[in-house]
Amino acid sequence: MLVFAASDKGGTGRSVTSANLAYHRALDGDDVCYLDFDFGSPTAPAVFDLPDVLTEAEGKGLHSYLKGKTGEPLRVDVWARTEHPVLRTRPSGSGRLVLLPGDRTGGEFVTDEENLHRCVDLVLRLKREFDVIVVDLSAGRSYAMDLALAATAPRSALARITTRWLVYHRWTRQHVMAAAELVSGKQGIVRAGVAMGHDETALSGAIRFVRAAVPDLQSPLWSQARPEQSVWMHERDRQLEAMAAGLGIGKTRALASIPLEPVLQWREQLITYEDVVDSRVANLETWQAMGDLAQRLGDDKYWGQL
Amino acid sequence: MGAQESTPRPARPVLACGEVRTCLLPTRDAVDERAAETLLRLRADERVRVSRRPNRCAVSPDVLTGVDCRLPTANGAKVRAIGTVAARAVLTEGRVLQSTAYFAAPADGPDSRRPWGYYLVRPGLLVPVGRLPAAAVAEGFLAGHRPEELDVGSVAESLLARISRAELLDYDTPLNTASTVLRWAARPAPAGSEPSLRFTVGEEGLRTVALRLPEGTAPAAVAGLCEDLALHDWLLTTVGDKLDGVRLGTDDQAAVRKVLGPLVDHLLHLWMPRARLERVLSGLWDALEETPGFTRQWDALAQRIRDQLALRALLARREALDARLTAR
Ligand SMILES: Nc1ncnc2c1ncn2[C@@H]1O[C@H](COP(=O)(O)OP(=O)(O)OP(=O)(O)O)[C@@H](O)[C@H]1O
Ligand SMILES: [Mg+2]
Repeated sequence: MLVFAASDKGGTGRSVTSANLAYHRALDGDDVCYLDFDFGSPTAPAVFDLPDVLTEAEGKGLHSYLKGKTGEPLRVDVWARTEHPVLRTRPSGSGRLVLLPGDRTGGEFVTDEENLHRCVDLVLRLKREFDVIVVDLSAGRSYAMDLALAATAPRSALARITTRWLVYHRWTRQHVMAAAELVSGKQGIVRAGVAMGHDETALSGAIRFVRAAVPDLQSPLWSQARPEQSVWMHERDRQLEAMAAGLGIGKTRALASIPLEPVLQWREQLITYEDVVDSRVANLETWQAMGDLAQRLGDDKYWGQL
Repeated sequence: MGAQESTPRPARPVLACGEVRTCLLPTRDAVDERAAETLLRLRADERVRVSRRPNRCAVSPDVLTGVDCRLPTANGAKVRAIGTVAARAVLTEGRVLQSTAYFAAPADGPDSRRPWGYYLVRPGLLVPVGRLPAAAVAEGFLAGHRPEELDVGSVAESLLARISRAELLDYDTPLNTASTVLRWAARPAPAGSEPSLRFTVGEEGLRTVALRLPEGTAPAAVAGLCEDLALHDWLLTTVGDKLDGVRLGTDDQAAVRKVLGPLVDHLLHLWMPRARLERVLSGLWDALEETPGFTRQWDALAQRIRDQLALRALLARREALDARLTAR
């Protein structure tokens, strides 16, 4: 399965949540690779605790590969290389977890036939080795997104691989509107895809939303608020839900909702089970929401045209 | 026209080098002969060679890539060579796909570049400008190219990529497997000494094979030997890795479904070393059967798979029995 992680705005939680999603799929036994296509601001090495990889990827990352400067992009085995004390012991029954980092420098560039072919060939190669290929795109309608749409268009070989799109947004008015616009707007994913030959129904059936950093009003974090605050927040939450539904990104099209997590508020990282049960710094609900996201990603029940 | 003026024929090759990439064909099921021919029909003017015995095997015609670049050398000497690299693909039992890119080179060539016609009538030959330091190039080739030097691996990889894009593939492989790279370099054996083969596993799984062969061995025959080696090495590596990932007691049904079953269905029957090798080259396998003992290792792996399956069947039967007893 090929998974594209997109968002309209920056800082939504797209990279951190997608990395946790990859981690959960690997824990469940899938062989997973994570491709950092967010050229220019790669965060994956930090999230997976791979401090040396940022410099190591210079000239050998995905960006260089797509430009034809290197024949094979750098691969990093997360279980073997991470400095995270818990992740270093690969759990029994888990699958592979491999990062293909991006280059720090290079920035955006235009799509041409050549790097489109290179992108397709890379995914085909990875598909032989991995069950799940997660691709983190940059925010907005980026070069990386156009490349993803072109590479998966019906005439391409990648059209034969199950492809799913996750659009991340935060739980605020502006973010909800922006996410809806990114998918269905004039400059949105669906229109851009159709222009490249995608079938509208099939493409929009392959897109789901992920709400990130959502305040869970039942949790102790928020339920201790003053009554006035509590009433106000519940009201806003209800309005937001109604607005999302009106924009076509209501509950049925939201694959998962990841609660606001104090640990992630402070640090971009993977949330491990140890963080929840041993040190108890992270919330169980966060762990569960990440697990739900990972499970539903592969569950056909949650996908297709609604 | 004096003798000097006529097109000088480069002497016999004193070096042949190549790289083989081996992977599982990205489809749910092995493909039949017709599909194999479709996949490997890389040129309209030449047929795919298929043979059924002792196992099913299809070999594509050679496709040529023109090059004019430096050859890798162990001592950093600058050697320019011009000509074509040949590439071909092999599909074994409709299940394992390999691509090889290779070239041969004579001991010396003209002191300056000739018109392309000169090189095109010598397919798969890279003609050096001046003398070829064969030993240094063989060693440099195995060690890996530097930027701006000949990269036959990329030729092999793009052939693999080209075949992988074919319409009839569904990409729904029964098993996740990594591909392997085997690089080889062959030179004639010194007069009076036996042919020899040195197989090593280097960094990041790179296999290298250094060969000394009887004078006059065809480069395509060496490529065939190395494809055979690469196929069996890939089988050992893949099955070994998969078995290492299976732990007793952890979700038995998942292990059977995801790993043991597919190994039996798709890979176990593929072991058939030296299926179609020339006698001289076939003898080189003997060394590998001594150390590291390729077939011995394979037999042990196959036995482990059978044991695991038998054990799991036994446990499943006992569980079913227990369940029935407690239900009473
Ligand atoms: N569930 C969460 N709760 C609290 N904070 C979160 C949560 N998810 C992510 N964050 C934090 O939000 C910030 C932005 O996250 P992240 O880097 O994943 O966003 P992004 O969408 O990938 O941004 P960019 O567009 O810059 O790549 C990070 O500091 C991250 O730790
Ligand atoms: Mg990011």
